[in-house]
Amino acid sequence: MDQPLITRKQFAAAIAVSLLSPMLRLLPNAPVHLAGRAAWLSAIPALGPLVLICLLMGAFRRYMRPGEGMGGLMLRWLGPVAGRAVLILYGAWLLFYAGFILRSGADRLVSTVYPSSGPWLFAAVLLILCALAALGPLRAAARTAVLLRPVLFAALAAVFLLSLSNVRPENLKPLTARDALPALAGACPFATVGAAGAYFSFLSGYVDPPKSAVRWLLGPLVLGLAAGGLICFEVVGVFGPGLAGALMYPFFVMIRDISLSDVLPRIEAVIIALWVLADFMLCVMLLRCAHEALRPVFGLPAPEGVPMRALGRGRWLLWLEAASVLVCSLAFTVPAREMAVWSDKIVPLVSDIFTYGGFTLLWLVSARRRKYERPTL
Amino acid sequence: MRRALTILYVLPLTLCLAGCGSGSMRTDRTDIERLMLIQTMGLDRKGEGVEMSVSSGLGPEDRPALVMTAAASGMEAAIQRLQAYSPENQLFYGHVQYLLLGEEAAKEDLQAILAWVDRSPVMRMGTAMLIVKGSAVEAVEAASGEATDITARLASLERGQRARGQDIHSLREVAGALANGQGALCLAVETTDAEDEVLTQDKQAAAVVPVGCAVLGPDGLVDFLTPEQSLGAELLTGRPVGTLVSVDGAALELLSCETEVSGRFDENGALTGLAADCTVRAGLLEKPLDHDESSQDLDGALAQAVRGWIAGAVEKAQTLGCDFLDLRTAAMDGGSDRALRMEAWPEIFPALPVTVTVNAAVDRSYDLSE
Repeated sequence: MDQPLITRKQFAAAIAVSLLSPMLRLLPNAPVHLAGRAAWLSAIPALGPLVLICLLMGAFRRYMRPGEGMGGLMLRWLGPVAGRAVLILYGAWLLFYAGFILRSGADRLVSTVYPSSGPWLFAAVLLILCALAALGPLRAAARTAVLLRPVLFAALAAVFLLSLSNVRPENLKPLTARDALPALAGACPFATVGAAGAYFSFLSGYVDPPKSAVRWLLGPLVLGLAAGGLICFEVVGVFGPGLAGALMYPFFVMIRDISLSDVLPRIEAVIIALWVLADFMLCVMLLRCAHEALRPVFGLPAPEGVPMRALGRGRWLLWLEAASVLVCSLAFTVPAREMAVWSDKIVPLVSDIFTYGGFTLLWLVSARRRKYERPTL
Repeated sequence: MRRALTILYVLPLTLCLAGCGSGSMRTDRTDIERLMLIQTMGLDRKGEGVEMSVSSGLGPEDRPALVMTAAASGMEAAIQRLQAYSPENQLFYGHVQYLLLGEEAAKEDLQAILAWVDRSPVMRMGTAMLIVKGSAVEAVEAASGEATDITARLASLERGQRARGQDIHSLREVAGALANGQGALCLAVETTDAEDEVLTQDKQAAAVVPVGCAVLGPDGLVDFLTPEQSLGAELLTGRPVGTLVSVDGAALELLSCETEVSGRFDENGALTGLAADCTVRAGLLEKPLDHDESSQDLDGALAQAVRGWIAGAVEKAQTLGCDFLDLRTAAMDGGSDRALRMEAWPEIFPALPVTVTVNAAVDRSYDLSE
């Protein structure tokens, strides 16, 4: 299959920008609940499970044929019946996840900046933009990620520097050996955020494969964990572990207090609005991942190179998926308190089941199959 | 051409993301000339609701501050009512610098007020918070005159506090301490009658003066500390550099202060008490003419006074059962039964022996007469 490739740099940028969305949804609340003031140290042990999942994805990649993604591999290894069933499960989850991201992103925007608005408008408008991006060439979305990555990371760095003066060292002390176990538990949310990158293996067919997935991803992984650790460090340092855990959006409450003297007394609306871009990128990528998961189920060709409005070559499926995401996001109407439970507990748990659980299980059950198959890389 | 048209169709949609529409396509834009920036807010309890007083701060060319007061069932309702009083201006609360809480509001509604600020997309957690002995609304109104207003008064007070190494605590610091299960300290102020204040520049406006600290617990205002107890609390946290103190009639300026609080444990690792070791250095500014004590005596007198102030603050915390000095952190550092202590701290704390040792030195003790 002659497919247009996206470069590894673009692929890495798409993963990095997309993961910023769950990062600020889960951090720092979830690690603070588990590790208290040691939450920022939890980024270190999270490297272990994330390297393991990188190794697993790298191992899968070695068995993928040229142009084949995780969807094709699952179908080959699990057979037409079990393979289709698993792919439908993954596809449905990815669509629900995209819908949830839209909804929680809209809720965040409404809660923090536009309290007199309803979330549905933001969710619907963002989905239209996401659908248009998903219907376009994957390369265009990936190139957008390359542009967005420095903007979002620069915003994070600016927030970090400007809030540093509000950090109270006594909020971060004392840290003793007894905090080691809670810090270890606090690594779970970090590991959950990072593992969401495994969904991008459905798009592997479009990427020039690296020789070593771990070596390729180690740098960005360490940087991402450092960014997450610094977010926890700063939020806990500013609010203390009790308040940081109690606030619904501590990071965004923290940036409300940032002032650039009298020139820019408030910058939070800009920063919060920038995070819509991370939601946008994650939603686009999840839509494409879901499409790559469901495409082999129906035996449809890759959607690249077809005009945006065309329904041929299986592109009807993309429209259907976008509609499903919209239904998910609009039907997901829970009060703010319940939203926090979904956001901090249920969705991360299910995501872990699909990433750590699902992919490990696939590796284990395909052991026999792998005996007769030589790696392509 | 087709691509350009697509972009043209999509671009208007992004306006909705930027907040120009709020469910409908109506605009929320307000001209900056019409924005009235509220700089100080006073909150009191009134019946089952609140009374809110706001001050805009002095305007350009010394225009008097706009001061308005409204009573309503809650904070948001009060804000709506205040807006109705000022139809020509849009009141904007994003730049509130000082939040004054009256005694009753601090006692009954502290957590509700903190939660309201957290939920508000406009108010900031970094806003300085002060407790007014009496009514906050009266303080806002009384401190505003033709040439000054409550914001200017509080800004001056804050500068004075900073010069003495003491910050006015923000809502964030108070909420953080309360969420960590501690008590919190907050600067307490009161207004002095304008007619009695000879040095008040604006004869119509009352002065706002600090009167020590207010102790806040999870349920609200617990008590006020005397100025000596407040000083003891500040000495325990090691901050009151630049503070003027009087010892045996001599005026001393605290130059540095370091206090280390640590737990004392028995051979089984169980907590037996706390020890506060304070090292304080002060400069002699003035001593009475008939003073003939040596500088070593002054050292001893300062040590004794500091010991008394710290012990007074600790005793007050233990009597109230409210750990506003964050002694728990020191008690948790070391020993073997940390988890148990953490859980039982409220029961352990009131009866815990606390030993205070002070090492004091007075500089600049030379004298022209010697």
